[in-house]
Parts: sequence; C-alpha cells; structure tokens
Amino acid sequence: MSGEFKPKIIAFACNWCAYSAADLAGVSRFQYPPNLRIIRVMCSGRINPNFILKGFQNGADGVLVAG
Amino acid sequence: MNAENPQNVQGSVMVVGSGIAGMQTALDLADSGFYVYLVEKSPSIGGVMAQLDKTFPTNDCAM
Amino acid sequence: MDKCIACGECAEKCPKKVTDTFNAGLAKRKAIYVEYPQAVPLKYAIDAPNCIYLKNGKCGFCAKVCPAQAIDFEQKEKTVRLQVGSVILAPGFSAFDPQKLDTYQYSQYQNVITSLEMERILSATGPYHGHLVRPSDKKEPSKIAWLQCIGSRDINRCDHGYCSSVCCMYAVKEAVIAKEHSPVALDTAIFYMDMRTYGKEFESYYQRAKDEKGVRFIRTRVHTIVENRETKDLSLRYVDENGKALEETFDLVVLSVGMETSKELAAFAGRLEIELNADNFAKTDCFSPVKTSRDGIYVCGAFQEPKDIPYSVMEASAAACWAEADLATSRGTLTKTKTFPVEKNITDEEARIGVFVCNCGTNIGGIVNVPAVAEMARTLPGVTYVEENLFTCSQDSQDKIKDIILKKGLNRVVVAACTPRTHEALFQETLRDAGLNKYLFEMANIRNQCSWVHSKEKDEATAKAKDLVRMAVARTRLITSLGQPTISVEPSALVIGGGIAGMTSALGLADQGYAVHLVEKQERLGGIALGLLNTWKGDNVPEKLAEMTKRVTTHSLINVYTGATVKASTGFIGNFETTLSVKGSDRLLKHGAVIVATGAQEHVPQEYLYGQNNRVLTHLELDRAISSDDPRLPAADAVAFIQCVGSRESKRPYCSKVCCTHSIKSAVRFKKINPEAQVFVIYRDIRTYGQRELLYREAREKGVIFIRYDLERKPEVKNDGDRLAITVKDHILGRDIEIHADLLILAAAIVPRDNEVLAQMFKLSCNSDNFFNEAHAKLRPVEFATAGIFLAGMAHYPKPIEESIAQAAAAASRAAVTLSKDRITVEGVVSYVKEFMCRGCGECERACPFNAISVQETDKAMLAAVVKEALCKGCGMCAVACPTGAASVHHFDDREVLTMVETAFEY
Repeated sequence: MSGEFKPKIIAFACNWCAYSAADLAGVSRFQYPPNLRIIRVMCSGRINPNFILKGFQNGADGVLVAG
Repeated sequence: MNAENPQNVQGSVMVVGSGIAGMQTALDLADSGFYVYLVEKSPSIGGVMAQLDKTFPTNDCAM
Repeated sequence: MDKCIACGECAEKCPKKVTDTFNAGLAKRKAIYVEYPQAVPLKYAIDAPNCIYLKNGKCGFCAKVCPAQAIDFEQKEKTVRLQVGSVILAPGFSAFDPQKLDTYQYSQYQNVITSLEMERILSATGPYHGHLVRPSDKKEPSKIAWLQCIGSRDINRCDHGYCSSVCCMYAVKEAVIAKEHSPVALDTAIFYMDMRTYGKEFESYYQRAKDEKGVRFIRTRVHTIVENRETKDLSLRYVDENGKALEETFDLVVLSVGMETSKELAAFAGRLEIELNADNFAKTDCFSPVKTSRDGIYVCGAFQEPKDIPYSVMEASAAACWAEADLATSRGTLTKTKTFPVEKNITDEEARIGVFVCNCGTNIGGIVNVPAVAEMARTLPGVTYVEENLFTCSQDSQDKIKDIILKKGLNRVVVAACTPRTHEALFQETLRDAGLNKYLFEMANIRNQCSWVHSKEKDEATAKAKDLVRMAVARTRLITSLGQPTISVEPSALVIGGGIAGMTSALGLADQGYAVHLVEKQERLGGIALGLLNTWKGDNVPEKLAEMTKRVTTHSLINVYTGATVKASTGFIGNFETTLSVKGSDRLLKHGAVIVATGAQEHVPQEYLYGQNNRVLTHLELDRAISSDDPRLPAADAVAFIQCVGSRESKRPYCSKVCCTHSIKSAVRFKKINPEAQVFVIYRDIRTYGQRELLYREAREKGVIFIRYDLERKPEVKNDGDRLAITVKDHILGRDIEIHADLLILAAAIVPRDNEVLAQMFKLSCNSDNFFNEAHAKLRPVEFATAGIFLAGMAHYPKPIEESIAQAAAAASRAAVTLSKDRITVEGVVSYVKEFMCRGCGECERACPFNAISVQETDKAMLAAVVKEALCKGCGMCAVACPTGAASVHHFDDREVLTMVETAFEY
C-alpha cells in the first residue's frame, strides 16, 4: 500500500439527472477513480443535512450532493 | 364520429415517424386506449431533436 | 434484436468505417452501430449497404465476438400489412443542403459548416466531445459567423419562398452556447435580414444575447465568401444597410440551413394521396391545422409547415385528439391489460432476500470478479439465496427468478447488474408475476457505475461492486410493500374560456365522448375572434366561428355557461369540485380535468394620436371597420401601418407574434381593392414566419412600401389638416421622410387578461409578462405543472388561430389521457405524514413544488398536513422541510437512505 491519500466519497444523486448522468458516463466509458459510492434518491431536495453529517460520521472524506 | 358503424372502426393508429412529434402523438394515443404502430426508418427513435445540443430558452439538454 | 445487450463488442471489432450521419458527417462510425449512446432501443444495428459480410459473404467478425449470439445475417426485409383506424404523419423535415448554392462554397471550404454540424460540434457526444474546434485544423475559433436564411426566403436560388421559422432562434442559441464553450473571448456575429424571435421568451433571449452576451447582429445578406488558402480563414463580403461595401474575416462560418420536404417524402405523400401545397408541405387549413386532404390521415410537426419543438408537440397531441375522436367507439378494443396474481402479505416475515449477480456477458464479468461478489453476498444478513447469471435480464432468467422466488419463499430481491433507470421495470414485473409487491426490489448498479467506469482497476472495481451489493442488501432488508392507491376519475372536464381555443378543446373532448362544462364570462361565445375577418390563408373567420359555435351549443355532451365565472375550485386530478357563478347564482360542478383557455386582449395604445384622431385605428378596429363597410376605408388613398405598438419595448418586452401577418394581410387587401392606393408598413423586423412569408412577398410585389425604424427613433405622428403626417427615418435614403396618410393602423400588442385570479385559485404560475406558464417550454407545452390542469390559446402566449386550435386540441388530448381511465393508479413512492407528530406548521406545504401536501383541520380539530397522493412525485422536499420528522417518503425514509451510508465502505 502506498501512502497516497484515497478519499472515500459518498454521492447522493438525483434519479432524474445526476444519477442518469452517472449512467451515461458508464455508457460513454468515461473512467474515474473507484472510491465513489453513489446513493440514488428521487430528488436532491430529499437530502437532509443530517444525511451529509451521517456520511462524515461513517468515515467519508467527502460527500457530494448532485442534482 | 364514425359512431354509426363501430364494428368497422379499428382501435389502432399507425404513426409514421418517431421524432418528437411522432413520439408525443403515439404516447397520447396509447395512453388513452388505442393500439399504436410507430413506424421509423432509422434504427432508433428520437429524430432530429436527439442531434441537437441544447434547446433554448432554458438551455436544457435536448436529450 | 431481443438478444442484443448493447455491449458494443461488435462495433469494436467491425473493420468497416462509414460516415456518421448522426454526427452530420463530421465523424466516422462502424457498419454495425447505435446512432448515439442514449439511443432507444439501445440495440446495435447492421448498416446493410455498408456491411462487408452482407455484400461479400466474408467477414462476420461481429457474429464471432457477440457474447449474446444476437447477430443474424439472415434477417430480410419483410412486408407487413397493418389494419388501422387512422394514420398520423410525423415524418419531419430534411435540412436544406447548401451544396446547391455556390455562393457559400460549402463543399469546397472546410470551415463553412451547417447549423446541424454546429449542433454536433457543441454536443458532448459529438465528434469533438463538445470541444469547440473548427474542422480544418481542429483549432479553437476566435471568430464565428452565422449566415441566416440559407435555403429559406429565397426564390431565386433555391425556390424556397417560405421562412423556416426556427433558424433565427437556433442561431442565437448556438452563438450564446458557443461563447459559453469557448476558452477564449469568442466573437460571434449573426448576419440576418429580419430577426424572427416571435415565440414565448424568444425576444428576451435575443435581447440578452445582444446586450449581455455581446453577440453581434448585422442586418445584411453576405454575397461572397473567400477562403484564405493557407490559414483556411474565411472572408465575408457584404453591403451594409447604408450601402457601404464591407469585408470581415472569420475562423468558422455556420450556414443556418432551413427546413424542406425531401423528394422521397413528397413521393410518399403522393402514394398516400394527400395534397401538398406549393412548398411541398402537407396542405391544411387554419381551422383544422392537422387534418390532411384525406379523411383519417392527420399530420403534425415540420411536414405541415416549418416549426419548432413546442408547436410540433402541440400538433402531435392535436392529431391524436382528432384521431381519437374518429375512433372513440373502438377505444380499448385492441389494447390489452396484463393481470397479475394476488400479492403476498410479507409484513410479519423475516427478510428472505435473493441476490442475482449479472455478468452481462463480459461487461461486468470481464472486470468485476462476479463469483467473489456472489460469495460475499451469501454472508450478508437476510440473504437466503444467491445466483450468478450470464444475463439476468434475459427472458429465461425472468422465468428462473420467478421460479426461485416461489420455491425458496423469497420475499425481497436484489439484482446486481446495470441501471434501475432502464431495467427496474422489467424486474419489478417479474416480482409481480411471482406474487411479490413490486417495491420489494432493489438494484445494485455494478455495470454503468462500476465495471464500465473502472475497467482498468479490476480489484478496486470488485471491491466497489461488493460495497454496492452490500448497500443494496442493507436497504432491501428495510423496504416494505407499498400500496398503489387508485383514485376514481370523474369523466368530464371544465373548460374556462369560450373563445376559439376553449370551444376547440370542448369539441375535442365531447367528440371523444366526455362531458364538458364550457364557461364563458361574456354573454356570447367566440372571444377575441368575434372581431376578426379572415385568417392569413383566407379562411372566413365569422363563418367558421358560427359553425364552431353551433356545433358547441348543439352538442349533447357540452354544457355551455355564458355570463359565468369560476368562483372557487378544490380537489385534484380526476376529482375537481368547482363553483361557478352563473348570472349571479352559484352552481357546483364535479369534473376530472380543467382546461384554461381564457385568451388575451388587444392593448390600448397610448401613442401615435390614438384616441385623439379618428383616423388612427387598431387591428381589431380595422377588421370591424371592414366588416361594417366603414366609409373611411374606400376613401383612403394612403394608408400606413405602424408595427410593434406596445410590443418589444422595455415595458412589454415580448413580440406579439400575430401583428406582422395581420398588417401585411390587411395591406395586401387595401392594394387589391385600390391598386393606386399608397400603402406603407413601418416596422422593426418583419416576422412573417413559415409560409406567411409568401404574403410578405405578395405585398412587396403589389407595391406596399416597407420602411424600417429603430426603437430609439420611433415614427412621429402629427395632425395634418384632414390627414396625418408621419415622420420616419428611412435607412436606405439615410434621412427623415414624411408620409401623408388618410388612415393609420396601429399593430397594437396582445396583452394578457387578468390571470391572477385563476392563477391563485388553481395554484398556477405566470411568467414575467403575465401569461400562464406551461410545465415545460419544449416538451409539455399544454400542461400546467399541477396534474390534471391544461392550457390552450392566447392565455399561454399571443398566437394565430391555427396555433390556438392546435394547442386547444392538444390540451383536449392530454386531458383525455386522464379521462379515459376509470381509475388512476398512483405511484407508491409518495410522501406520508405521521399525524401524531405533525404540528401543522405548514413548512411542507411551502416546500412542495407540486401542491401535493397541505395543512388541513383534522377530525380532532387539530391542524395537520395531508398528502394528496395523486399529485405527489415522491421528491421528499416535505420530509426535509419538516421540523418534527412527521413528514417522510415511502421507500426513501431516513432509515432506508442512511443504512446505505452506513454500509457504503468496507473497512
């Protein structure tokens, strides 16, 4: 293991835009680092600030809300 | 309006072309109880709108 | 085709490269291909004329590499006979091919491109991946020019006298977007004759492009393009408005090509025996704008006349409306409804989860270690069954999943494969076939969001796939069956407004068999059209209006309420209750849908001596004067029209759309009656879009004189004895001229009515000009954001009769989608409120974008929020806004989301 910092990132993605954009990135075979975990929600308006804090509490180094 | 002879009225419609107009008319018909044959020359639906980058005035992606 | 999994192996190995028509010829693709990554259906197709195997019988690489055995070279063209009740033509248009015009050297100069090529260059999925470069040297351009009216408004070189209607607006859009894309300070210039930004929100977009984005607009027609052979830059030569010869060099030139009907399409129309007009568009009249010359065949979109997306969508629904009316007695005779077994109640059961991990051929399995993922899944709490599939989505896999659900007593299912956006519905149907509620299902997206995007990092991709499956299983343990409540539908509609739009909507629904309540404030039906004489195509408006009114008043399913207004309304889609005030007394109606068609009115001018001199008339006054044989008209030797009276000014920035055509039509009429009469049209841009342009040409041929003015220097009107004196600067002569006129017709703006009252009552929104806002400018032009309420006619935006009729029939078609159902099934993913925790503060009501949640008094006389499930989209804004935790969303409650956060990373 190298000492390189690999942040753990949690992303909340809106089903109608950001989540489908992530699907399209796949279809287009865009490569990005594998340390991102996407959680699908029906709208980014669903994201309670509490969800973000919970992410950090569970060891995430970054939380992305995309919608 | 063909009510006098309902037996001869087919509950189906052929839609020629599956661009934005063809898709909309097909959806309306199918959603209100008619069988639709959607006929398209090319291998996928979407027409010219799929080729457009963004649409005004909102600059939404045309997809 | 059913076997293709769209992995793309075939295209990867195909040795034959062909020109990519989807990318307007700017790129290459293979002879087996999908048109674009989001194509529907997402299935690869063989381009037969280019396929080496089909031509020579050798090659077949694609068949060898296809993991799904989806390639079948034996497929032959088949002739299919269909028996249908109606035909709707939506074949679209062809872009004009500028190779025919040698002025622009399109085929010679690499950096002269068409607007469609520009769209592809700007697109992220285009040939240069959205990077704005020019074709010759892939250099980023610093100056781009757009040339308008290429293949439009030009009878000399291409025999297309009509205006293509959409090019002004798309050129402005492309210029703005190009500026946004460009890393340098891009200079953009649009060379035009008239800017035709006549649609809703178009004019303000044009003004913003000019004033804020710095797009240059140059009024001229470029006569020559010369290429610098070394740099490939292009020099444009033109004569400006003052007659000065100018030259300017650009890196890239975009030809704004118009629309035309292809020869093949014209021939097809011939075989169908439908009439085309002189420009090869389907012949229709203004009062039935989507009806072809042959009964039962309808037309919509650009084959009827060049037009933009929203009007194509409106006509599409209008065509559906009239076809549905023709076939109303056969509604539902050929469609089938699938039935499912009774759903099992799993409330008291422990989780018994089945996990199906898909290899997707090698798409997942080639990167992710699928056996390891499956092995891990077996260790997760609640999982009782795990299986790997080559293709979990195939039909035999569905049969197998159903079988296993029953045999193993599974009560929840996780599929680790592609994306729920394309495949969730398929698996949910399999669950329902096996007697499980469709919401007891979850997908882990280990293809689109894992193997495909981490193809070089197999170990990390496997670790991520494990995490995704663990997260999905954790969530699945918590999810529950959800009911999908159904609500009854009252099969009738309320149409507000008895003008042409309202009456068209009413007839559209009544002819389909639905009862309609038509409400008109005035004592008489007809609206603003009562004052109109004829359409630009020559239809006699009073006659047609009388016919329409008679059909409405005698139709057994239409109840007409004149002298009536809407007093109050409650309810939601399928179930509205509205109180009318009819000549002073109240009447309660129940109905399933609402169509708002309240129209607009003519602006009362405050300038040009209007109201002070009786020789100054508005358009409606002119039409009335004509129909009442007003003696002022035949006595007039000189008539002037002033355009944009109250439109396109800071106070009212939009274009009123109908006035140019109305003025020119009237100008031609004056000339026809008295060819010696002097007729002037004083204008800013002539906006005779589409085939209305032919009227403009006729006016010029008949000697109508057109004089342009700028907003900064409006014409001045003075009394001049018996006549009027109008002073205006002539741009060609470069000096002020004075016109003496016996009559002055003002093209007064179309202004909205007082829409506030209805907006409040039905919670509708208006734009900054106070016209009603549709749900989506392009794709939902006749709907409001609130379900079950529709919009038609000039209440939406000023428009001519044929467009009001199309929009009104479209509104009827959209309403019929709801009214044709006995009950509407509501999605299960909706909000709910725990009443005991709610304190009735109303934060949720304020947060909801769909009017789906509101605070009401409960039977215990407390205030609490109530969800109207029919309107809820499950976005969860209310849950976030709620300070007490009373509001939440089924399937996405806090626990169901947070458990995924907790299990996101394996430590």
